[in-house]
Amino acid sequence: MKLGFGLAAAVAAGLMLAPVTASAQQKIKMGVSIPAATHGWTGGLNWHAQQAEKKLEKQYPNLDVVIVTARDVGRQANDLEDLVSVQKIDALVILPFESAPMTDPVRAVKQAGKFVTVVDRGLTDPSIQDLYVAGNNPQMGEVSGKYMKEKLGGKGNIVVLRGIPTVIDNQRVEGFQKAIEGSQIKVLGMQYANWNRDDGFKVMQDFLSRFPKIDAVWAQDDDIALGVIEAVKQAGREKEMFILGGAGMKDMIKRVMDKDVLVPADVLYPPAMIAEAMEITAKHLVEKAPIKKEYIIEATLVTPENAAKYYYPDSPF
Amino acid sequence: MTPSAMPEVARKSAAGFDLKLYGPFLALAALIVLGTIVNPVFLSPANIGNVLTRTAFIGIIAVGATFVITAGGIDLSVGSLAAFASGVMIVVMNALVGSMGAGVPVILVGVLVALGLGLAAGLVNGLLVTKGRMEAFIVTLGTMGIFRSLVTYMADGGTLSLNSGIRTVYRPVYYGGIFGVSYPILMFAAVALIGAVILYRTRFGRYCAAIGSSEDVARYSAINVDRVKLMAFVLQGICVALAVVIYVPRLGSASATTGLLWELEAIAAVIIGGTMLKGGYGRIWGTVVGAVMLTLIDNILNLTGAISVYLNGTIQGVIIIVAVLLQRGAAARR
Amino acid sequence: MAEPILSASGVTKCFGPVEVLHGVDFAVLRGEVHALVGENGAGKSTLMKILSGFHPPTSGTVRVDGRPVAFAGIGPAEALGIVLIHQEFNLAEHLTVEENIFLGRELRRGPFLDKRAMRERSRAVLAELECPVDPDRRVRDLAVSERQMVEIAKAVSRDVRVLIMDEPTAVLTGAETAVLFRLIRRLQGQGVAVVYISHKLDEVTAISDRVTVLRDGHHVATQPTAALTQDAIAQLMVGRAISDMFPPKEPPPADAPVVLEAQGIAVPGWVRDAGFDLRRGEILGFAGLVGAGRTELMEGLLGLRRASGTLRRDGRPLRVRSLDDAVEAGIAYLTEDRKGKGLLVAKRLQPNLTLLALERYGRVFVDEKREAEALEHAVGEFDIRVRSLDALVGSLSGGNQQKLLLAKTMQVEPTILIVDEPTRGIDIGTKSQIYHFLHDFARRGGSVILISSEMPEIIGLSHRVVVMRSGVVTGILEGDSVQEGEIVRYATGLKGRATQGEAA
Repeated sequence: MKLGFGLAAAVAAGLMLAPVTASAQQKIKMGVSIPAATHGWTGGLNWHAQQAEKKLEKQYPNLDVVIVTARDVGRQANDLEDLVSVQKIDALVILPFESAPMTDPVRAVKQAGKFVTVVDRGLTDPSIQDLYVAGNNPQMGEVSGKYMKEKLGGKGNIVVLRGIPTVIDNQRVEGFQKAIEGSQIKVLGMQYANWNRDDGFKVMQDFLSRFPKIDAVWAQDDDIALGVIEAVKQAGREKEMFILGGAGMKDMIKRVMDKDVLVPADVLYPPAMIAEAMEITAKHLVEKAPIKKEYIIEATLVTPENAAKYYYPDSPF
Repeated sequence: MTPSAMPEVARKSAAGFDLKLYGPFLALAALIVLGTIVNPVFLSPANIGNVLTRTAFIGIIAVGATFVITAGGIDLSVGSLAAFASGVMIVVMNALVGSMGAGVPVILVGVLVALGLGLAAGLVNGLLVTKGRMEAFIVTLGTMGIFRSLVTYMADGGTLSLNSGIRTVYRPVYYGGIFGVSYPILMFAAVALIGAVILYRTRFGRYCAAIGSSEDVARYSAINVDRVKLMAFVLQGICVALAVVIYVPRLGSASATTGLLWELEAIAAVIIGGTMLKGGYGRIWGTVVGAVMLTLIDNILNLTGAISVYLNGTIQGVIIIVAVLLQRGAAARR
Repeated sequence: MAEPILSASGVTKCFGPVEVLHGVDFAVLRGEVHALVGENGAGKSTLMKILSGFHPPTSGTVRVDGRPVAFAGIGPAEALGIVLIHQEFNLAEHLTVEENIFLGRELRRGPFLDKRAMRERSRAVLAELECPVDPDRRVRDLAVSERQMVEIAKAVSRDVRVLIMDEPTAVLTGAETAVLFRLIRRLQGQGVAVVYISHKLDEVTAISDRVTVLRDGHHVATQPTAALTQDAIAQLMVGRAISDMFPPKEPPPADAPVVLEAQGIAVPGWVRDAGFDLRRGEILGFAGLVGAGRTELMEGLLGLRRASGTLRRDGRPLRVRSLDDAVEAGIAYLTEDRKGKGLLVAKRLQPNLTLLALERYGRVFVDEKREAEALEHAVGEFDIRVRSLDALVGSLSGGNQQKLLLAKTMQVEPTILIVDEPTRGIDIGTKSQIYHFLHDFARRGGSVILISSEMPEIIGLSHRVVVMRSGVVTGILEGDSVQEGEIVRYATGLKGRATQGEAA
């Protein structure tokens, strides 16, 4: 009888100690929810996320990173539910497909007690966000506008190619227009090119037909810019103008590095921001390091001087 | 016994001409007038050249689609196949540059690869529809998804770019031409001509129309329905391959968004041109006009700053509906 | 005389510049069965469409109960109790029988459909027609004759005062026709007037009180039926003496070789074990009730359906895997479904004519000049009457469509011709033409297999008759046994080979 009681006590003690020792070995799970790789920028996004996953899992052995991609808002919302209930994540790093519809699903994750990092497209209720990492769309427009103003000496005729009609596109264009206000730069034409190389080609071809003299092109995005370059080359009007893109695609960065007259500069909107967000979140989770609430990545102007720093030849972007 | 004397003149020369037959051409003429009013640069040789060249891909694909639709089927996978074929072509050519050097032989291999792929895709679609007894809509919806995801996979979500050495050699296929007429336009014209001959003059063309008109009647007329339908899909696949061959040199790249919505544009071109979606009646020259009209609308909207850019889609939709109404209204009155 | 319930006076109708009805008078009395006869193109359908509100007359007056009316459409006409049952079925294939019967006049309970009431009423009206079809079955699964009964049920279930029936028995068997006649008598008893359009003069004399004859858009005569013989009616229709409908039978020589021999043919679901032989110069009739499997047997032989068994052509074994094989062996088939399987109604005559034989007009490219010549030749040879050679096939009358279909089938120069219900829904004049054609074909050394549900046709043309029942050949008759009574006995199983149960 005494032996039995002692045995039971030992077992009970052992059982009580088990959770304590187990938690020291328990994995921390970080869920990453991003849009699927449908075009250049998101392709880069996915690549950088995967690179970061490899790096972080090597750096922190008890960290497990799960990346899921979605093609639309509905699917992304489903992914969040799965991450919480099936994968049992401790923290979420999310680049929402669209701000408004994703706000409530992310709120549900927060209410389940998880740490929430939002990248690039902020939610309509910022209080949900524990950490916000973003590029700066208005600043991107402004930096582009400022550069153009300087390079053109305050006057000239330009054409603008926009992206897809969304909030981001509007922010950039507004920033740009603010920057060139007051100068004598005239915007001859502005059309949507949907962040698409083919559309950039077609729109530029028609701009070239319409306007006999163009001094510069703000293409806002490097995919568009590559289409623009082809159209300009076909018309034989390379000497007439220069092109300013955006986002930091490796082909364009290379051109800037090589001091291409047609592409003298670029403005960053790097998809690598997801990697930064993941790193900061991981550091906070594992090392419990203190962090700021917001990390806004600057829309850096890339010139021949600093281009080498931003050149990722292995990225698909 | 001879038939009684004809008391009435044949319908075609009766008062009022056949609007259904000439509808698409009238619509095209109206668009050209509109374009000239909007911006006289519209009629400049450079602009017309650009527009016709840009039309070539959709146009060539639409010629193939005319056969499929006339035979009572439909192929939704053409845009995705174009992306996939472009991607494979680029990858293969890039891989061969090292061993074969950046020259014409590599391009020829690329062209053969593209044609082979188009043919194979056509066979897959066709066999699933005929032997597999599945609805063409469903089959090609499936292959549409498969092809596009394959190219996205190949490109890691980014873009596949052609080796610059090959690019330089291949470039003239899109940007060059003879006597100021670009090669794409020539290829488009050739494909349309051959397509017209096949559809209007050959037994195969007749069989396509018969099958689309009534598959039962075709069977009871000893027509090998399965074989004819299969050939129609294969023809469509080859057309896609031809379009790819002239598309790749334009930008030298392929990505997940290449050829997006081309299938819808090709089918729209076919329908605007007068071919009936339910099958049985195909019009190649109508398809050509339809394809040109779609590009023209885009072009006209680009040449004017007058209409808010947000409304581009509205204008396109309205013009397409009006074009089709003009035809159908006349046909309904018969 | 009592006021006619429905009448037309001096009605003229033009389609464009063409006048198709010339001042026609026509009157229907309450509770009478009034037959309307005339050749194809005489104007019967057009007149009935005017009386039922489908078309307005170009001039003349339509009166209901003596008062002039101008129908704005079939709705107002139906509201006055005038219902037309078309020759072409107006049924929605994918809907059920009950849904079709109540189409457009569904019964409701509040905002919902009262399915129970509709189903009961459908059952009731189908029971009146002694039609065993289940109201929940979809129309596309019904046989042609069942669809006709549903059409009739649809019309009868309305409050009808004048029921116009256009060729109602074209696809019905004798038994179903009898049921229909009983219904007509019942309706008559209720005071309903029935206008009966038909080519079958025996039915006309059996059921109608008065007969009106139209010819080429003119009113020719209206007489009490009792005063006319069938021959007299036919003569009024055609305007000339009818030479013998059937050419004199000439049996093939006794030593005529067997050109086709079938043994142990089975078509899953339709034919269990059929066999027959066909000799050169012979017309072999195939008789039987609807559902006996005759059409399916032929389709099986021709590769249009899966079948098993052996076939010999001129003594040598023949494998037919597709219709093409049959055509190569000189066998051609004239389908019973001329609009659904025979002709492309949306296309012109020329492409239709050559579709089966297109190979002969070019290996790759079609020689349109030769096609046009062939069309002219065919139009002359088969007396196909069209206003223009560019017309669409859909605009031809039934008889001319059938002649075109025959011409199309003959383009492959067959030596064995299998014709299935070749004169269904066709006027007397054309029927006779087709009979003479088949007779000449056989006399010149061809062979004909004739499937028909019209007894006079089978008896008038066939040298021998194969009778089928439930997928089995119950008997082969020749000589004196080729007469109606014997055929019916074999067709209904009273005589001949048993069809149930036992192994072949």
